[in-house]
Amino acid sequence: MKMSRKTKAIIYILLTVIAVYFLAPFVYMFFTTFKTEAEAIAYPPKLLPSKWLFENFVNAWKSQPFGTYLKNSILVTVLTTTGQILSCSLVAYGFAKFEFKGKNILFMILLSTMMIPWDVTMIPQYMEFNMFGWINTLKPLIIPAWFGSAYYIFLMRQFLMGVPKDFEEAARIDGANSFQIYWKIYMPILKPSLILVGVLNMISVWNDYLGPLIFLQERSKYTLALGLAAFKGVHSTRIIPMLCITVIMIIPPIIAFIVAQKYIVEGTSGSIK
Amino acid sequence: MKIMKRKKFIRKATPYFFISPWIIGFLVFTIGPLILSLIMSFFDWPLTTEPVFRGFGNYIEMFTKDAQFWKSLRISLKYAAIFVPLNMGIALFLAMLITQPVRGVKVFRTIFYIPAVISGVAVSIIWGWILNGDYGALNYLLSLIGIEGPRWLVDPAWALFAVILASAFGVGTMMLIFYTNIKSIPITVYEAASLDGASPARQFFSITLPIITPTILFNLITSIIGSFQQVTLVMLLTGGGPLKSTYFYGLYTYNNAFKHHKLGYASANAWVMFIIILILTALVFKSSSTWVFYEAEAKKENKKRRGGKK
Amino acid sequence: MKKRLAALCVLSLAVVTIFTGCSKNNNKDNTDNSKGGKTKIRFASWDVAEDVDRQQALVDKFNAAHDDIVVTLEAYGSDFDTKISAGMGSGDAPDVMYMWNYPAYSGGLEPLDGYIEKEGENYKSNFYETLWNYNSINDQVYGIPIGFTTHALFYNKDIFAEAGVAEPTADWTWEDLKAAAKTITEKTSALGFSFQMKPDPYDFEMYLWSNGSAYCDQDGKLEGNLNSEKSQEVFQMFQDMEKEGYAIASEKSGTDEFRSGAVAMYVYGSWAISSLKEDQLNYGVTTIPAFANAGQDSVSILSSSGISMSKDSKNKDAAWEFIKFWTNEEANKERIGLELPVLNSVVESEKIMEQPEYAPFYVMLEQSKGYTPASFIIKDWSEKSENLSLSFEEIFNPSVLQSVPDVLNNAVQQ
Repeated sequence: MKMSRKTKAIIYILLTVIAVYFLAPFVYMFFTTFKTEAEAIAYPPKLLPSKWLFENFVNAWKSQPFGTYLKNSILVTVLTTTGQILSCSLVAYGFAKFEFKGKNILFMILLSTMMIPWDVTMIPQYMEFNMFGWINTLKPLIIPAWFGSAYYIFLMRQFLMGVPKDFEEAARIDGANSFQIYWKIYMPILKPSLILVGVLNMISVWNDYLGPLIFLQERSKYTLALGLAAFKGVHSTRIIPMLCITVIMIIPPIIAFIVAQKYIVEGTSGSIK
Repeated sequence: MKIMKRKKFIRKATPYFFISPWIIGFLVFTIGPLILSLIMSFFDWPLTTEPVFRGFGNYIEMFTKDAQFWKSLRISLKYAAIFVPLNMGIALFLAMLITQPVRGVKVFRTIFYIPAVISGVAVSIIWGWILNGDYGALNYLLSLIGIEGPRWLVDPAWALFAVILASAFGVGTMMLIFYTNIKSIPITVYEAASLDGASPARQFFSITLPIITPTILFNLITSIIGSFQQVTLVMLLTGGGPLKSTYFYGLYTYNNAFKHHKLGYASANAWVMFIIILILTALVFKSSSTWVFYEAEAKKENKKRRGGKK
Repeated sequence: MKKRLAALCVLSLAVVTIFTGCSKNNNKDNTDNSKGGKTKIRFASWDVAEDVDRQQALVDKFNAAHDDIVVTLEAYGSDFDTKISAGMGSGDAPDVMYMWNYPAYSGGLEPLDGYIEKEGENYKSNFYETLWNYNSINDQVYGIPIGFTTHALFYNKDIFAEAGVAEPTADWTWEDLKAAAKTITEKTSALGFSFQMKPDPYDFEMYLWSNGSAYCDQDGKLEGNLNSEKSQEVFQMFQDMEKEGYAIASEKSGTDEFRSGAVAMYVYGSWAISSLKEDQLNYGVTTIPAFANAGQDSVSILSSSGISMSKDSKNKDAAWEFIKFWTNEEANKERIGLELPVLNSVVESEKIMEQPEYAPFYVMLEQSKGYTPASFIIKDWSEKSENLSLSFEEIFNPSVLQSVPDVLNNAVQQ
């Protein structure tokens, strides 16, 4: 596709203006991490620190066992993401490409599970995990993800519904079974949306602190997000270390996103570049 | 004969096999807590002591005595009515923007997505600073150009707007979903249209938009659910204020459970919310047959006919 | 086909392992309180970041001295309440926990009077007496005091010097404060005074006490108390200060404004001290001004923290052993800087009263004997408090500034 100069200029202006809106708070936060707390709350606000306190990051990292938290976070994120991708694609395929008894009702139930707020199911869930002996382990955070979550199943189903059946007809005629079709035909086509589910899940798990808060007890089990929340006290918040950790925590998801971006683009051959 | 039967069984069982992970997970992890919370909605449960049965008491109290229930419901409906279309519009616009084949668009893509990656706790602190009426950065910047900014988080007339402003910051997730879908449209479709001389706007409305209707449906439903359950941001940014103008239904439920220790009542709140969302979702789904186009559907007809011949 | 079968097998295997895994863990759980023959005690605190390290050091000390008990520290910061609520709701609360909101949680706590009696008379009397009221419900003690703060007046010495106004003293009345605030607002770029736009009703009652009133009477009746003339005077005074422009109603606690030098005075607890020290702000602390016509000293609310035991704890003796350790002199000394010490002997030996930033909080403690906060009297305080908070905001929110008598008369009807 060709574009006139004028269109290009308009696009760049739009991109820039929006980028400023999205970046401004982040940039403000980034520069604040190098300030003293007093300077951070000074009025009128200044963007740049008067003295760059790089040691803020070191102090923040040392103030809690963040090395351990990082390990736990990576463990939970990687394992849940793998689980979600596998289980959600299976289930979504089942819902999107087959007709069977009770399908609509089951799908409605699936959607319904998203509609009850966690506030009120949390305590029963705690009791259940306690019965399993999973409290104060990472299991409640990881294992349920291997059985799919409604949000991603729904998302994958929508993508699958958009894929024409032409693709599988040929394979069917060649005698391939449903699982082979799922694995060999649909998975490759769906690679971009699998990556998408992976990225979305990774970020929500990475930042989730309510789950870890409720199910974990000892600091050796904490995740980064929980450590981050622990800077917020009842009467005062350690703002600077909190922002430092926030900035550090952004890095892995951003890297993952940049990598994923490539796959989302490359995933379907022949798409617009 | 036996083989035939087995084959038939396998054909019938196949779909259930594919959805079995979810069914097992649902039976093991989800249904118990769900039912228990429904049962609890008929109890008075102050958390620290044993629950006491009170029939429909919680529901009756909610509808007849609790003015806050209606107020919070109205606030959440208003928020959803503004936020859902706004957010989807922005997300779709951004998704279109980042699919444009211009140099450096990758960088912008990442920038647009950064806010969605930042943890909610930090986001709300930053917005709290920016939006502070007397000492905030935004009003300071406005004062430099001679505008006296409103007291964002103090003036009830502005607070909901401030919350929407802050939550629109996380639009990246939805943008990414649209983006992925748009990217999956084969270029041949566009090429064919270009030859016919369709303008970009025409291409958008007659090609892109129809193809992505499945994800529009997805984003619509999940953001309706999300806006009713919005808690974290308002809790940290406004605490439901000023003057309870942002006391969202989600916050109302949360506070009943964890601040006032009325878990039974909170469960009733949650189930009423469930019914409301369910009705909205059902309506959306009902309407979706007229505006959501599944590529696969046309083919399905074929298959059915073939299946009938067997 | 084979693949599908294989997948099915893997899946069912996974399910089986999970279920057997549960039951195995379940067995372990039944004897969960012993870890290598030791009694395990869970201890939950609300402290944050580095403070937790200091607590951990103390816990380690306890563990080293006890062969038969292992205490594990859990720190939840501002989410403490959510966690404890969830724990109590599901019957799995920590054995020992920090506590301040006794009216809300006492149903899940173990009364401690019996344990205290066994320790002898001196154990109890070493604590500041007023603190026991705040750690009891219906004359039963549910927590041993570990820290407290009263409120006091913080002032910025540099701003006072700049404006040429004499610094606040213990015998100030609100009239003095208003005069000083006016001068400061006129002569410097700072505002004179700040107070909270949405004060926690629990805290705000201290001003009513100071003016000879309260939210309610002994039976919890608001009418004639919350809306009494004396109560209205208090609200009116704060609203007038805001209207006249030398005071600001802060969106948060007011600490940020004070730290940044935007405001010269505010009333707050000792929580602010560590940040102010870190900022190297030139500040002073004194008692809260009195009401000129009240004929009494000012009174402060107590924000007290205690350490409590869960009524569901399976190892109460070990838990008490730990509570005793956590409240002894040595632990009090170790925690100075985190908490104001609660033991007479420690305050004396550490010469706390000679430290000008701490002493006013103890003076306020002395002046605040014999008051019972409405939260201990009114049933369902948590909801009542939410309504009151809304009423107060209607008075102080600069976007509305509603009439004091109207709001208060309305509030007692609710």
